[in-house]
Amino acid sequence: MNEKIKNIIASVLQIDDSTLEDESSPDTIEGWDSINQMNIVMALEEEFDIEFTEEQILNMLNVKLIYITVEEALNNA
Amino acid sequence: MAAKLCCSMKNLQFKDIIKNNNLLAKEVSGEPYKVSILNNITTNQITPILEYALRTQNINVDCQIGNYDNIIQDSITHNKSNLVIVFWEACNIIEGLHYKINSFSAEDYKSLYEKVTNELQFLFQNLKHTDLVLINSFSSSAFTNNLASTNQFDRFCAELNQFLQTSLPNNFRIINIENIFKEISVTQSVDWRYFSMSKALYTVDFYKHYTAKVLPYVLSAQGKAKKALIFDCDNTLWKGILGEDGKENIIMDSQSKDGRFFQEVQYIAKELYQRGVIIGICSKNNPEDVEEILNSHPDMVLSNDFLTIKKVNWQDKASNLKEIAQDLNIGLDSLVFIDDSDFEINLIKSEIPEITCFQVPKKLVNYPFLIKEAANLFYQLNTTAEDSKKNEMYKTQALRESSKKQFTDMTSYLESLDIELKIYQDHKDLIPRMAQLTQKTNQFNLTTKRYTESHISDFVANDTHLVMAFEASDKFGNNGITGLSIIKINNDDQSAEIDSFLMSCRVLGRNIEYKFLNSILQNLAEKGINKVSSQYLKSAKNAQVKDFYEQFGFSKVLEEEDKKLYQATLSDLKLKPIPYIRVNYE
Repeated sequence: MNEKIKNIIASVLQIDDSTLEDESSPDTIEGWDSINQMNIVMALEEEFDIEFTEEQILNMLNVKLIYITVEEALNNA
Repeated sequence: MAAKLCCSMKNLQFKDIIKNNNLLAKEVSGEPYKVSILNNITTNQITPILEYALRTQNINVDCQIGNYDNIIQDSITHNKSNLVIVFWEACNIIEGLHYKINSFSAEDYKSLYEKVTNELQFLFQNLKHTDLVLINSFSSSAFTNNLASTNQFDRFCAELNQFLQTSLPNNFRIINIENIFKEISVTQSVDWRYFSMSKALYTVDFYKHYTAKVLPYVLSAQGKAKKALIFDCDNTLWKGILGEDGKENIIMDSQSKDGRFFQEVQYIAKELYQRGVIIGICSKNNPEDVEEILNSHPDMVLSNDFLTIKKVNWQDKASNLKEIAQDLNIGLDSLVFIDDSDFEINLIKSEIPEITCFQVPKKLVNYPFLIKEAANLFYQLNTTAEDSKKNEMYKTQALRESSKKQFTDMTSYLESLDIELKIYQDHKDLIPRMAQLTQKTNQFNLTTKRYTESHISDFVANDTHLVMAFEASDKFGNNGITGLSIIKINNDDQSAEIDSFLMSCRVLGRNIEYKFLNSILQNLAEKGINKVSSQYLKSAKNAQVKDFYEQFGFSKVLEEEDKKLYQATLSDLKLKPIPYIRVNYE
């Protein structure tokens, strides 16, 4: 599942999957701005049919935290 | 590349739209079509969706988002864009207006209304010369739950809409977003989390539907509106297979379970015919069997009176559709084809990707909705009296084609037609039609410059431009206003430049262009002008006129890959007299 999430993040950021690591974040990836952050969240919600809370959205600060948050949202769904 | 439609986008996920949009960006080229989104909320999610929809129609779009909550200032800097879209959300005119306004005093309410309507007038003014502006209706629907009574926010939005409707400039159109709320519900359209976090009110779903509303305007402004809607017969115009089930057993009446959907589709097609859309059939059947249904089946709404063209035979449908485009003298990309069969739809998609295809849905209840969506592709920014007459003209075109066969040489045929041109000069009543001609004419168009009604009315009003149009008629009928030329006049040095010269394909092949050019040049000579420049700007469709000016002795002063510039002294030109066409001036 993490691969699928990584693939979505990469699609939105228009970069290759392989350039993303667990610690990749808006600070390390050029083009990962607040607009793309929102696009990533929207794309994930659509893909997994989940709805994050505002707090979860604010916590998605890097790739690894996104994995954790998606899993958490799926478990609560 | 296949013209994929927006409706297919509704099933695409956001991540795939972003991905496909980036792929298409590398494929689609041509003159960039600049779109600016001005807003007072966050609207960035629209960019990949709108770009994708336009790129699938081969439009090389460049979409820019204005600064957040900066509509008036941005309307000055973005007024050169081809299209400006305005998201002016009432709820964010003042932060939290949707709840604050309900306790406003009458005075505060009035002064806010005046402030906003003043700003709207600035917007109208700043975007006066922009080709096309789409502004959303003001809506309180997302914020109001009380159906029993209206509050001040509802009233505020209603009054702003009233203002929009009464003072809207003619290059503006309103996108009624209530229609999107009806289609997918308010809950699907807005997301309160994003609104509270970053003022992004609308969802991806909303933008997909919004884009489908924008697309017809863009297609029309780009001269890419569709022209002909062609139906298969069996299980497309009626339920059942004529050749197998027999004429008594095909169904298209409102009393039977499935028949009503076919009846509704036929009525929609009939209405489109009345608006000037070409309606045709392309079916594998015995022609006499289908004729019998068209002439005498009691439930057949779309009878011969409402059909412009028919290809009923056992040829493959790709060849038939190509013939239809040829007979009507329209491009293949002007056709929309409806069929129930996977085989036929896939054949056309692979053989002639320019044609837009829709398959009759398996769930017939959705069929009328599909046709209504297809109908949007025929939208014309400017509808004119010409449109309702158009189908008659296409029919006389067919008569003309058959009479042509009696003559062995072209000149005696043309002489027999008794062609007459009525020429109109700077004629105010023709402004909508003349703007429409610049937007729709692709083949016989020397420069393909698209103008809006406001451009044309400026040209008509000023003596820096001469706007000449003609109405062509012959013994078979009147073709209406079918040719236009816009000439820039330089009064300082008595010279002129032919900015636009175009003719509808309905009147091609009759040497009318020569007679029209003669009249223009004669007119210029009478004004004391002797130096004329002209140009050919290459487009995807106007190769047939690339050597037009060379024929008369215009000398080429510049030739590049995509354009040629000419100059001439009037007295040196070798014009073609064409004695058999009569000219009158209105």
